[in-house]
Amino acid sequence: MRTSAPSQAPFVRALVRAQPLAYATTALAWIVWNSWPLVPGVLAQWFFDALGGKAPFGLGVAAILALFVASGAARAGVMGVAAKSGVRLRFRMRAQLQTRVIARILRLPGAQAIDVPVGEAISTLRDDAEAGALAADWPYDAVAGLVFAGGGLLILFQVNARLTLLVFLPISLLLALGNLARSRLVGVRAQSRQATADVTAAIGEVFHSVEAIQAAGAEQRVLQHLAGLGDARRRAMVRDKALGALFDAVFLYAMQLGAGLVLLFAASAMRSGSFTVGDFALFATYLMQVADFMGFVGYLISSYQQSAVSFARLLRLARGEPEVLMREPAVPLAAAGEALGPLQDLAVRDLSCLHPGGEGIRGASFTLRRGTITVVTGRLGAGKTTLLRALLGLLPQAGGEVLWNGRLLTEPSDAMTPPRVAYVPQVPSLLSGTIAENIALGKPASPADLRRAVQAAALLEDLDSLPEAFATEIGARGVRLSGGQAQRVAIARALLRQPDLLVLDDPTSALDPETERRLLTALSRSGQTCLIATSSTLLLQQADQLLWLVDGSIAAIGSFDELTARGLRVR
Amino acid sequence: MRNAVPIASYRDLLSRYLRPHAPAALALGACLLLSTGLALAAPAIAGAFIDAAIAKVPLAALGRLAALFLLTALFAQAAALGATVIGERVAWQATNALRLDLARHLLSLDRAFHARHLPGELIERVDGDVSSLASLLSAVAADLLGSALLLLGLVAALWRLDGLLALSFGGFVALTAALLEFVRRRAVPLQQRSRSRGADFYGLAGEVLEATEDLRANGGGAYALSRLRAGLLTWLPTYVRAEVAGYGVWIAALCAFGVADGIAYGFGAQLYLARALPLGSVYTIVAYAALVARPLGTLRERLAELQGADAGILRIQALLSERPALRDGEGLLPGGPLDVAFDGVRFAYPGRDPSNAGQLPALSDISFRLAAGRRLGVLGRSGAGKSTLARLLMRLLDAQEGRVLVGGQDVRRLRISDLRERVAYVTQEVQIFRASLKDNITLFDPAARDASLREQLQALGLGPWLARQPQGLETQISGASLSAGEAQLIALLRAFQKEPGVVVLDEVTSRLDPETEQLLEHALELLLAGRTAIVIAHRVQTLESMDDILVLDCGRVAEHGARKALERAEGSRYARLRASGFLEVLD
Repeated sequence: MRTSAPSQAPFVRALVRAQPLAYATTALAWIVWNSWPLVPGVLAQWFFDALGGKAPFGLGVAAILALFVASGAARAGVMGVAAKSGVRLRFRMRAQLQTRVIARILRLPGAQAIDVPVGEAISTLRDDAEAGALAADWPYDAVAGLVFAGGGLLILFQVNARLTLLVFLPISLLLALGNLARSRLVGVRAQSRQATADVTAAIGEVFHSVEAIQAAGAEQRVLQHLAGLGDARRRAMVRDKALGALFDAVFLYAMQLGAGLVLLFAASAMRSGSFTVGDFALFATYLMQVADFMGFVGYLISSYQQSAVSFARLLRLARGEPEVLMREPAVPLAAAGEALGPLQDLAVRDLSCLHPGGEGIRGASFTLRRGTITVVTGRLGAGKTTLLRALLGLLPQAGGEVLWNGRLLTEPSDAMTPPRVAYVPQVPSLLSGTIAENIALGKPASPADLRRAVQAAALLEDLDSLPEAFATEIGARGVRLSGGQAQRVAIARALLRQPDLLVLDDPTSALDPETERRLLTALSRSGQTCLIATSSTLLLQQADQLLWLVDGSIAAIGSFDELTARGLRVR
Repeated sequence: MRNAVPIASYRDLLSRYLRPHAPAALALGACLLLSTGLALAAPAIAGAFIDAAIAKVPLAALGRLAALFLLTALFAQAAALGATVIGERVAWQATNALRLDLARHLLSLDRAFHARHLPGELIERVDGDVSSLASLLSAVAADLLGSALLLLGLVAALWRLDGLLALSFGGFVALTAALLEFVRRRAVPLQQRSRSRGADFYGLAGEVLEATEDLRANGGGAYALSRLRAGLLTWLPTYVRAEVAGYGVWIAALCAFGVADGIAYGFGAQLYLARALPLGSVYTIVAYAALVARPLGTLRERLAELQGADAGILRIQALLSERPALRDGEGLLPGGPLDVAFDGVRFAYPGRDPSNAGQLPALSDISFRLAAGRRLGVLGRSGAGKSTLARLLMRLLDAQEGRVLVGGQDVRRLRISDLRERVAYVTQEVQIFRASLKDNITLFDPAARDASLREQLQALGLGPWLARQPQGLETQISGASLSAGEAQLIALLRAFQKEPGVVVLDEVTSRLDPETEQLLEHALELLLAGRTAIVIAHRVQTLESMDDILVLDCGRVAEHGARKALERAEGSRYARLRASGFLEVLD
């Protein structure tokens, strides 16, 4: 075991501190449970001694048999208690880690809040949070181990000190060393994992490029390549398994070796009757348990080490300091920031935001005035969405500044949120639940408020045609809605917040011309300040100003008529 | 419980892939028998020792018995080890063969199939499902058989000591197996409910993680967290019930083993006190009772796994029953440059092809002729059908009407392997394998020689580039380690490994920076020299060296003719495109 303070201890402490009472109950129950195996050995000893005519404490064979049954029942009862409190405790600890990580993620720049695929993030939230919660078992499991080992040695010593020293301790030591060696076999384990990863990766590559392989007529060669990797994996796996089985065999044999040695060394004592059959049964039973116990210790060590990896993975997902996992997050995500006053104008100076590939937007400068509609346009990939996201702080800005009524925003991702700004992404994400829940997102809203927002988003007719109207369940990610409906639910969501500035990314891509016209009329009549990314002709013509993006830079600013008069084909 | 997989499915699959390993299976069986027999002998020897000690036989005889005990136990473990290793090896050999067969089969299927099945799913089928079959096979061999043998052996060994004891023990084993299965089944629906609540929670978490942008920008974070907390709270009671029921299985097992001990100790005491058995035999009985826990547990776990593998086997069989839609032909192509012709070709993607959602995929009434050795530039917006044209030529798709001709022969009459050997197709999307540079260029051709490959690279002016690679041709590369330009370079080099009569370049330079484009230019020129070429492009500048131009619009030929003529023709699309330099004019 390690002497230096392991890095996961503070996390475990934080988990335990949250529910000390439940932890204490669970710990006590498991300690009793784990040291219980000492009992049957002693009972076996008494049984054989009673049969041999040397009844301990005057107990008859029948009484000892009754004790066997009672001890089994008691152990089952202890397990019941341990299970009940332990299961609940583990769930709560896991939930604590999960919500803390998600709370943290929800405060990161929204468009890149996680830098791994969602599936991978979920598996970290599921498996690593579980492994992290398991780490809290460690302190009481260690105590239980000490109680068991100490108690067992004490009992054996009393029975026969010479045999304990001569056989039991060496065998235990051998098993401990073997366990240590097994846990050090990471090399072999890593090789088989690597070989498996190679095969999986190669299969993935092959099926990603089926067409290329077929076009090149390389099927046979690729299969040979796969076969080679498969052979390598087979060898690695068999080696891995064989080594594991070898260790198992050695452990099991060590136990029997111990029993055999006890027979050898105790032969004369048994003949003379000073080492009874009961004593032998006790030694043999404990020897059997030593192997299990060493396995338990090995599991403890490896799960403890594993938990360090899991805590690290959770932190990487949360992209934060260790405190993220240890403290309840401050009431999160409410729009922070200074009082900036109602929007008069928003000035953007030299805003840049680059993707890893080098594309992005460079040096964008423009100004939005209250009550106007500004449209960002340009061809596919010109950087329209990136511009909006960078402005809103949903992507990290690489340079430039944003001024609200002339005041510099130091933290745009906090400042550019409701009630100042609301945003509708190109493909809005909805959550399962009702339409009303999705529009409100927790904001208290009266039915009249909801209705107003829905009307302004040109969704009212759709809503009235649904039997359950606002209470309609929209399914996971909003699958029960059409693309256009989902988009307008998201617009209603933004409008409900009555923002100073409404930012829309391609809001009409899923709408038919008629709905698009209605939405636009509603917007321009309301005098809402808007920033819209689009290539819809209707919107381009209605806008007060157009920002024409070409390859990430604003190539021209002006009204539709001005730009077309300059001979630019904005459409 | 599902009982959908008939035994025949297992038998067919197993017998097909296990038959080649019959000798190994025999060795495995021998190892299992040996280890079981020896494992049962050891407690009997210990019992004999005890009796001998009580009878005060000479110490030397006791020593021999102790040594025999040690040897028996040693060989028992060795035999068990042998069984595990053999089982593991056979399992991996058999499933590797199955895995390859599946991969071969899937590679023979066409675009329609692969559009329906995402690569992630196929990985899961070919690796996940097959791997679970592998662990199953090795488990069946070593664990299932071994455990069953040991239990049978136990009852037989006890029979030798006392008939009634053996009968009660056999009854106990059967009852316990039934009891444990009963408790497990009661736990199963609870666990399913808990899993489905858990899936709801993780589903919601996934939605939230996907919606971070919406939530951040609309101040919905607190709401999302409260939803997640509520999800956790509804999950908690079901989770506790399910897990506690799971522990119930364990508790039931404990009670059962307590009963086993009770039977052993009770019978032992009774037989000893009735002077039917000596004390050593009582010890043997008790030691046997301790042996029963392990095989019972293993047997139960493996049988549950066997049920779990059902779905995997069904999916594997479903995959193997898919048939490729393309039929191979017989015709062969001559050497040298080949002419290409499309004759009234119509093609539409099947309605549910998700890879083409939202595009205008169809080609209709496409006819043109490209003489051997000439170069054709194909222009058109995305979705105009340019790549479909190339896929039809490669027979990655078949036209619904009309004919595609290469070297004067209908491609459907040609042997597919020959067609693909003689037509090289280089795409914008390049798949790089995690393998050496050489394997990536030759696509794992074991016959490829380093020297000639190096010469080829020198001739293409890529010597300096190769010299920059840390381990030359053996440098391990991956998609992530290469720039888009280098990946494109490798795609071109792949085309050089054949002797193509036709070269099709699909947007190969559209993503490159000017520097890489220059590096490629020379190689491109060499690749096209003396061959028929079809160059698909979205920029007009890349087509300055073409002989003919074909403009596609919404799946139809909008313009086709000699480049020079089109340049001069007033109002031709090509001329307008050249003047503006932008493809948007097509809109």
